[in-house]
Amino acid sequence: MKKIINWILVFAGCFTAQAVSAQVRPPLSVDVNYSIAQPLGSLKDYSDKTSFRGWSAGLQYMLNNQWSVGLRSGYQDFYEKLPRAVYPDKQGDVSAVQTRTLQVIPIQATVSYAFTKPESAVIPYATVGVGAASMNYEKYWGEFVEKNNSWQFLVSPEIGINVPFGKASPLMFNANVRYNYAPYKYNDITSFNSVQGNIGLKFHLN
Amino acid sequence: MKKTLFLFSAAAAVVAMVSFSSCRKDPLKDMTNEESRIYITNHDSTANFKAYSTFSIVDSVAVLTLAGDSAKKALTDYDKKLISSVTAAMQQKGYTLVSKNAKPDLGINLTRIDNSYSTISWNPGWWGGWGYWDPGYWGYPGGGWYWPSYYTVYRVNEKQVAIDAFDLKNPKNSKFVAVWNSLWRGSGVWNIDNIDSMVQASFAQSPYLTNK
Repeated sequence: MKKIINWILVFAGCFTAQAVSAQVRPPLSVDVNYSIAQPLGSLKDYSDKTSFRGWSAGLQYMLNNQWSVGLRSGYQDFYEKLPRAVYPDKQGDVSAVQTRTLQVIPIQATVSYAFTKPESAVIPYATVGVGAASMNYEKYWGEFVEKNNSWQFLVSPEIGINVPFGKASPLMFNANVRYNYAPYKYNDITSFNSVQGNIGLKFHLN
Repeated sequence: MKKTLFLFSAAAAVVAMVSFSSCRKDPLKDMTNEESRIYITNHDSTANFKAYSTFSIVDSVAVLTLAGDSAKKALTDYDKKLISSVTAAMQQKGYTLVSKNAKPDLGINLTRIDNSYSTISWNPGWWGGWGYWDPGYWGYPGGGWYWPSYYTVYRVNEKQVAIDAFDLKNPKNSKFVAVWNSLWRGSGVWNIDNIDSMVQASFAQSPYLTNK
């Protein structure tokens, strides 16, 4: 009996501690960001242009003042149109205007660590996202498309800052830089590498 | 109040996601007819194009459609222009036009293909079976066409134009061997105004095809 009371006290203590730590803002948050991505390596050789068509969104749950876990998704569209050129091919020489595109849709689990207390005016943090991405490869030869769709492992380390709109505000401005890597091989692409800049909002739900 | 704010932000997030994902840049909306076309050339890498000096070209254009079992010969304004444009390009490459009775080294066949409603994949092997140019036209009755195995060709389901050059000097097992081929695909390949640029592009990307 005494043992049970002890356990209840321990749980109560934990609960109180959590309630105290969660006092600043509720633990569950959503974030929505606009994304710009720069292709690197063989992805850049395939499609050289910086992508201004992207977004990222997720859910996060604060375990304590420092650690959070979450789930996120997003979208990025890489696109480059090349002037007419002759491409030697196993099927002959092909003269074409090539439009090279790749659409990436990630689904990742995240772990984040905040470097300061939730009451800080600026909260720097680091995140690692691990999951999979749908890679939709579409290379147009004139109006004829060469297509491939596959799921790939995707890992994305990220550093960023959250800036609350006033102390203890549930709404925060978010800016981060993320590196994306996937061991994706298809035609000209030997691995997927990109640096992504995101800005957006993060909102703690009650 | 908080609930309203939450609902509002959730709705905004959904709207943002939908509008961004449909924000994909569509390559087909960012393309002129000229840019939509591709020109595929193929050749027999063992052929010595300097060994040929004369050529002859068909007097009309074969038109292949899915509806017809055999090719019809046509001589529209488009076809006349195609014949003269290919002839001029061959002459520019140093070959001499002769009549088909004067034993030309190369024979040139022209074909328009309308497979708009077809999903049949094209391989040059079936040309003969579709009543394509009778080798008898080239003074070889009972002969046939031989396409070396490297002539794998793109799948077709639209309008196309093909130019085929055959070696008439050295038939192999009573078949004329294809030594050069050009296939045009895309929007406007049957448009008379595009003929010259398509012919020029085809010959320009085939520098080996010359007698000079």
